[in-house]
Amino acid sequence: MTATDRRNLEDLPPSEGAALLADLVDVLIPGGGGWPSAASIGVQGLVAMRLVEQSGELELGQIAAAIIDAGGPFDGRTAEERVQIVARFETAQPDLFERLRAAAFLAYYESPYVAEAIRRLGRPYQLKPHVTGYPMTPFDFAKDTPRHGRGAYLKTADVRPVDTSGLHLDEIRTERWGLER
Amino acid sequence: MTATRTCDVLIIGAGATGSLAALVLAKAGLDVVCLEQGSWVEAADHPHLHADWSWQRRTNWNPDVNKRTHADDYPVKSDSSQILMWNGVGGSTNVYGAIWPRYRPSDFRKGTEHGLQPDWPITYEDIAPFYEAADALVGVSGLSGDAAMPPRPASPTRPLPASKVSKRLGDAFDRLGWHWWPVESGTISEDYDGRPACNGCGTCNGCPRGSMSKYSQSIWPKALEAGTELRINARVLKIEKGPDGRATGALYIDRNTGHTHFQKARIVVVAANGIGTPRLLLASDNLANQSDQVGRNLLHHTLVNGEMWVEEPVDGHTGYVASLISREFAETDVSRGFVNGFNFNCITSTASAGELAAGWFTSGRAPWGPDHHQWFETHFGHSIGIFAIGDDLPNPDNRVTLDPVLTDSDGIPVASTHYAPGENDKRMMNYMLDRIEDVAKAAKAFDYRLNDYRDKDGVYRTPAWHMIGTCRMGSDPETSVVNGWHQAWDVPNLFIVDGSVLATGGVVNPTPTISALALRAAGYIRDNFQTLSQTTRPAVAA
Repeated sequence: MTATDRRNLEDLPPSEGAALLADLVDVLIPGGGGWPSAASIGVQGLVAMRLVEQSGELELGQIAAAIIDAGGPFDGRTAEERVQIVARFETAQPDLFERLRAAAFLAYYESPYVAEAIRRLGRPYQLKPHVTGYPMTPFDFAKDTPRHGRGAYLKTADVRPVDTSGLHLDEIRTERWGLER
Repeated sequence: MTATRTCDVLIIGAGATGSLAALVLAKAGLDVVCLEQGSWVEAADHPHLHADWSWQRRTNWNPDVNKRTHADDYPVKSDSSQILMWNGVGGSTNVYGAIWPRYRPSDFRKGTEHGLQPDWPITYEDIAPFYEAADALVGVSGLSGDAAMPPRPASPTRPLPASKVSKRLGDAFDRLGWHWWPVESGTISEDYDGRPACNGCGTCNGCPRGSMSKYSQSIWPKALEAGTELRINARVLKIEKGPDGRATGALYIDRNTGHTHFQKARIVVVAANGIGTPRLLLASDNLANQSDQVGRNLLHHTLVNGEMWVEEPVDGHTGYVASLISREFAETDVSRGFVNGFNFNCITSTASAGELAAGWFTSGRAPWGPDHHQWFETHFGHSIGIFAIGDDLPNPDNRVTLDPVLTDSDGIPVASTHYAPGENDKRMMNYMLDRIEDVAKAAKAFDYRLNDYRDKDGVYRTPAWHMIGTCRMGSDPETSVVNGWHQAWDVPNLFIVDGSVLATGGVVNPTPTISALALRAAGYIRDNFQTLSQTTRPAVAA
């Protein structure tokens, strides 16, 4: 089956489409070291549902097509080859891949199994922290009040004209700004 | 269309400022009607109670009006800004973070200081008592004694807990010799006014507990008890003006029935935010716009940020979303190459492991593939975010206009916004990014990323929570829309009380200031109601 054939979800055998997505999320987030793999906790199901809700059913067909175009499917491929397939997908279709990646990452960390893996790292973590909260020590005025003594402000009556003549805001243009410097 | 009684005061918009105005005016015994195009947001409507809350806040709970699909919203086109707001009872307090710093005295005197912005017609001292009043209603948590601000009484509740992030950043600012102070917040640190103290959940994107002051829980019950008649799903189509130059009331559609009504009023108060208010005035036959200033001078603040990761765990996913504020650079120092200043709003981190991994603040995120878990193990619980928020200069071309073609579902023209930072703003943002880098190094971060909010085409796409300045207050009817009492120069019984009246943006989140200003304006209307309900004389300078 060619990539073009797979752009419509209706043309994709359901078992094949599901397997493609499951294999893909397992490349994104593999298991090991106490972490479940993404597919083992059903990330692909949540991802499929959310992408459909967000962008429509065609999105799943486009993902399948992108995998095939990138050298898929994953069956019989080594771990390294699987990574290469996904890397080609990311390069070829960055926007689609970004939506998929974000959906997969968020779905993975919503799993109670993953929350437990986080707690086993020694960090407090709740899936629904608003319900339980996290224990915090109340502000201690004696201990937590800053002692640096720094800080100043201009009182209303003390605001005076500043000399802006050296700024040349009308003549000089900052063309490179932000991170592009 | 049906006619109704003539109320004393009609308030358009049930957000933060509309609720406060309703409270003051109804408590005075006036007949107050408030029209709100959205509806109530119940605690159970929030995503916080579900395991998929981080997905929801990217989708149906997204504060960006263009990234969610809610019938309560109206479309806003923008060639740049991310338009963040919430339409409903309580307005954007349903989704905000409630960082609660005040303007400083010099923010009201920029005309005197350098002339690139106007002086306000009022001073810090004029609104200081109303800051105190708003703080008491909200239950603000904070610490008095900051040498970088005018003296103030103790906050209603103590500062929120000093987190590991606070301590780490406090040490970093100490190494730099820079000012820092525990952040003030509209989140209560102790049980207050029937609401429970913050439980440190970290999901500070609205708060269904009501620990963070959601005005539908903290203010509206009082305003309703005082007698305000609140009509939800009531979208105002137009404010009408009579032959005597006075506003006569507002035409609105009941979104439940589809029927239109006209609410007659002696005084009309607009509280529809920095986008909604100019849109409504422009759509009301260019109301109150003889100066051609309605919609102009849109301010968002200069905003950049950084994220850093430190080796020692700081558990930034726990506790209130903000930690410290630094006012080290708040005042103008022209030796930096620009006028005006900025604050650091130091936050904690995201409460969501998924958001941290997917990238939530900067370009920093976990890789996919074999290295994913290693990245996560070294970065989760080690992340700290920091905003720099500065005072942008007004530009009349940064503005809200009406789209000439598009309308919303009720036929009102769509609001369109344009915003681009100016020369002074760019210089300031460069300086801010460099100083964030200084903080990251002083905090001994093993990794850090900066974010200038520019997209791949270089367009500055600020997350524009702060939509201000578009109906600014002033002393001159030629260059402002309202006087120092929020009274429209052109329409003597029309008042604007939302963030659109801010003449300058200051270096802070605006909700504390617009809350104080709304209380002050409402008090003026209350105290002068008899005159204001009849006069046809143009407004005069306050």
